[in-house]
Amino acid sequence: MDRNSSQPSRRDVLRGALAAGASLALGGSLSACGSRSDAPWTASDDQWRQFQGATLNFISENTAPTAAIAANTRPFTDLTGINVNIVTLELTALVQRVALDLASGRAQYQVIYADPYQVLAPYQRGLVDLRSLQADPNLPDLPGGVEDFIPAQMDAAGRFVDREAVYALPYDAPTMIWQYRRDLFEKYHDRMADDLGFDPVPGGERTWEEYLQIAQWFGKNATSDVRYGTGHQARQHDSLMNDFSNVLWSYGGDYFDNGKEVGRLGKRDPGPCRLDSDAAIAGAAFYNRLLGVADPASKTWDWDGVGAAFRAGRLAMCPNWHEFAASNEQVMPGKVGYAALPKGPAGTANMYGGTGVGISANTLPHERGAAWLFLVWATSPETQLANLKSKAGGGTPTRTSVYELPEVRAAERRPSPMPNMLTAAAVRQAWRAENIGLRPKIPMWNECNTAIFTQLSRMLSGAATPEEAMRSIKSRVDQIVARGWVA
Amino acid sequence: MSTSMTPPSSTRQRTGAGPAVQTGERVITPAPPGVPQSPLEESSRRSRWGVVILLALALVWTLVPLLWMLLSSFKSRADVTAATPQILFTPTVENYVNLFTGPNNLGPYIWHSVLAAGISALLAVCLGALAGYGLARTQMRGKRHLAFWIISTRMAPIAAVVVPLFLIFRGLGLIDTIPGLVLAYLTFNLPFAIWLMSAFFAEVPPSLEESALVAGCTRWQAFYTVILPLTKSGLVTTFVLCLVFAWNDYAFAVVFSGPNSQTLPIAASQLVTQTGIDWGQLTAIGTIVVVPMMLAGLAVRRWLVTGLTLGAVTGE
Amino acid sequence: MTHVADSSPVFRPARPEPATLKEPRVGFEGRMMTPGLILLAALSIVPFLALVAMSFSLVRLLGGVRLDIVGFRNWARFFTDGDLWLSWLRTVVYFVLTVGLEMVLGVAIALCLYRVLRGRNIMLSLLLLPMFAAPSIVGLLGRYLTDSTFGLYAWVLRSLGYTGDILGSPVSAFAAVVLMDVWEWTPLIALITLAGLSSVPQSVREAAAVDGARGWMTLRYILFPAISNVLLVALLIRSMDAIRYFDIIWVTTNGGPADATKIIPVRLYETAFRFFDLGYAAAIGLAMLVFSIIIARTFVRLLDVRGLTR
Repeated sequence: MDRNSSQPSRRDVLRGALAAGASLALGGSLSACGSRSDAPWTASDDQWRQFQGATLNFISENTAPTAAIAANTRPFTDLTGINVNIVTLELTALVQRVALDLASGRAQYQVIYADPYQVLAPYQRGLVDLRSLQADPNLPDLPGGVEDFIPAQMDAAGRFVDREAVYALPYDAPTMIWQYRRDLFEKYHDRMADDLGFDPVPGGERTWEEYLQIAQWFGKNATSDVRYGTGHQARQHDSLMNDFSNVLWSYGGDYFDNGKEVGRLGKRDPGPCRLDSDAAIAGAAFYNRLLGVADPASKTWDWDGVGAAFRAGRLAMCPNWHEFAASNEQVMPGKVGYAALPKGPAGTANMYGGTGVGISANTLPHERGAAWLFLVWATSPETQLANLKSKAGGGTPTRTSVYELPEVRAAERRPSPMPNMLTAAAVRQAWRAENIGLRPKIPMWNECNTAIFTQLSRMLSGAATPEEAMRSIKSRVDQIVARGWVA
Repeated sequence: MSTSMTPPSSTRQRTGAGPAVQTGERVITPAPPGVPQSPLEESSRRSRWGVVILLALALVWTLVPLLWMLLSSFKSRADVTAATPQILFTPTVENYVNLFTGPNNLGPYIWHSVLAAGISALLAVCLGALAGYGLARTQMRGKRHLAFWIISTRMAPIAAVVVPLFLIFRGLGLIDTIPGLVLAYLTFNLPFAIWLMSAFFAEVPPSLEESALVAGCTRWQAFYTVILPLTKSGLVTTFVLCLVFAWNDYAFAVVFSGPNSQTLPIAASQLVTQTGIDWGQLTAIGTIVVVPMMLAGLAVRRWLVTGLTLGAVTGE
Repeated sequence: MTHVADSSPVFRPARPEPATLKEPRVGFEGRMMTPGLILLAALSIVPFLALVAMSFSLVRLLGGVRLDIVGFRNWARFFTDGDLWLSWLRTVVYFVLTVGLEMVLGVAIALCLYRVLRGRNIMLSLLLLPMFAAPSIVGLLGRYLTDSTFGLYAWVLRSLGYTGDILGSPVSAFAAVVLMDVWEWTPLIALITLAGLSSVPQSVREAAAVDGARGWMTLRYILFPAISNVLLVALLIRSMDAIRYFDIIWVTTNGGPADATKIIPVRLYETAFRFFDLGYAAAIGLAMLVFSIIIARTFVRLLDVRGLTR
């Protein structure tokens, strides 16, 4: 009885399973077709319209310029007939998705926000050499060519090892500078100058040692205005490495031999780590001392945290990315000043955190062309200018020509319709080849970086002396580099 | 009526088998009137106060963060990060408006979340009910091993299994599709649903099917028309729990979703931007993510226990 | 690993073995299980085998995934990695603290609720709310509450004279992430325990009342023994998930400060998706799976001893 009676039941069960399976498979195959076929192409006199009807996916960190572009992709769609989906993610999540996408052999994301250290260096072979597209007569040229991009940024964000090849176009350029409460520095200027014995006005002449004294002075004498003199982004996070590196370099230390070269063009095998040098240890010791007088909450902040605390009026000054100027200006208009970071025995160093946009090597020919159109548009002078004015924040330009526009020049002074330009004088100084701080561009940087900020965090928590911290970073980094990188 | 108020009989009543149902040796009788529901009730006044204070503390501890999130979501940009927490402030719906009008309109995210979590929970319940019934009734050797294997698949560390799954899904074209997310969620929902449903089925006395079979039903008919309706509460509970797990997922969504399938928790993480966290919008999103699941969870609260304790409560 | 290895019974129900059949109905149950188990097997066995293979290989990503077999290199590194062992130690402490606190507080709350008759339902409902919240949101909320510039809890602690920074020093940060987890999952334990308490048979309660047993004595000798099974089940459920979800830590401290909150799942995630050292990550992942299975197995065995699993 059972054998027979269970027949319909089995059929029912199977039917249910089949229905479920079929719906999944159908959804699957449809999307599979979608991602395998190339973008449409129509013969057109207008180079910009040849890929109309295509759809591009752009994966980006949630940065200011992307926010500005995401807020207004219409001009691009109007110009080209191409739709753009923008996926913004936090950097770790972005790297994860990009790496998996590159590994899968098919490009879900044609346009990639290629962080030089976390995407470009480890996955350079997954990115298109853009020279091939620039040379293609059927595609529009870069306005002003590659030369219009600020040279140090072009190398740092767009190249890897090879001096000629271009894997990404500089897209944003956050750089760490000294941000300070201009109003308070004016208010206390004379008293501070008397007490400290030097002119405290931030600028090229100040040293880190003086920075520390100013911070202490504020902590002691200005508590009615601010709670602490300085704050830092010293959470166990990428930000801690950034904040520390400024001090490290200005004290003459570096991560590897030939640091400038490893920073600018990058290297696959950087050799032994040099953090055990006397200069590096001296830098670490100073940094430890500096954090001792800084807001204790520094150890919980990344750049967001320190930025928010600064805007909340808790700090008199901090080193932070210059693109925070727009939000500073919104909250405390006219009260914030900007300068290049203080000097150490070896000069000033200002960490550069810019990124380029590149094209996935998994793209099919027409997709690649469409992606190139987007790259040209997104980094064009017009778009960069529009970003500067954007209400959604907006980054700062990466092109020399944009900084020379009269309109932009005029915005360097208050009242400014482009608040990020208030930092122009400071970043111009910071971007000089001798002042720009470039972290090592090596494929295994992510893991080295983690070892670096973890051990720094141990130092700051008192679990290790500066010397111990530097030596333990060295031994870890050497191990990581020795393991090499395969991608 | 809830399980906790008149517990011994309620689970029995759900099975619809009447008071004659026996569990093991224990015959369960309704409490005679006058007998205190809780044996501790007559103890001293002092400890009564202790209880009240403890509960009050627990309530404060539990609710303050949630209320604070709700409050903050109605604060303006300045109030939300004010150095002294603001309790009195001019409420604004700005944050919610921004969420639905900006370039990253939240609408599609909600839709993806509803679709992915809903379909995944539905599939999990259907397959889980079938397999759970089989598991509860089978007398095969190694049944326990099978049961343990099922639940152990749910223990697999997410970060480790995601890579192979990603490659399989990519091969099948399932990345950035709702079916892909549904399948990804099934990796943790399916074993859970099977276990849960088998606990609910185990509570139904086999004598019921036997009488149905005697009455001429096929096994499928007995299952479908007699047993399944008895476990309606189990089905609902399982559905809701699976829904909650899928809805709340971030780790899978971050890998398997894409521009056409981003879910709500992804939207929340997108507000943590390089140039500052917009806490007003973030608390607003938090509220949007959390409130529906709380309502759904509370709706099935009285049946949650049976499922979660896998039947052991009733001492079978 | 023995456990997953003897996963072969999965396929058994699909073709009933006549030898074990007392009656043909086994076949029906088998067929009922088939669709679910096949899907489950597809979703779990393939990744599991891939994981095992990866743990013996160097995984190349670009241009399609390839595995270069390197023998036991990842495993050798696994057993000699000092940082990793510290993480395991932290994981055990984290596990014991979270699950322990959740059990203690959950049982305490359940006992209190048990004594309250009026308003029990509404109170239980309110107390349950956190367990339905998304862990990633709980993490973000925790970060918001403990932010030293504008966090509510930071402000409260400051008014109470605490000057430190909650997420800034290793001990307090560890305590904070433990408490956030406790906040979210204590309700679950309370719910299960309350159900257990409520199902203590009337006869037992009456007997207790007749004997004049009160307060602690009732608890110690009557209620606890009666609900110990339920407590075990609660432990089992919690311990399965306790180290699987790391969203809260990921969002709040990211493993810091000074690695104080870097428990194994955080390290696994980092190895897999920040360093893309997938071979090594596979080894760590497998070890984590074994760890979870051993714990779950222990509780299941305890339940078995009591004859409670069917």
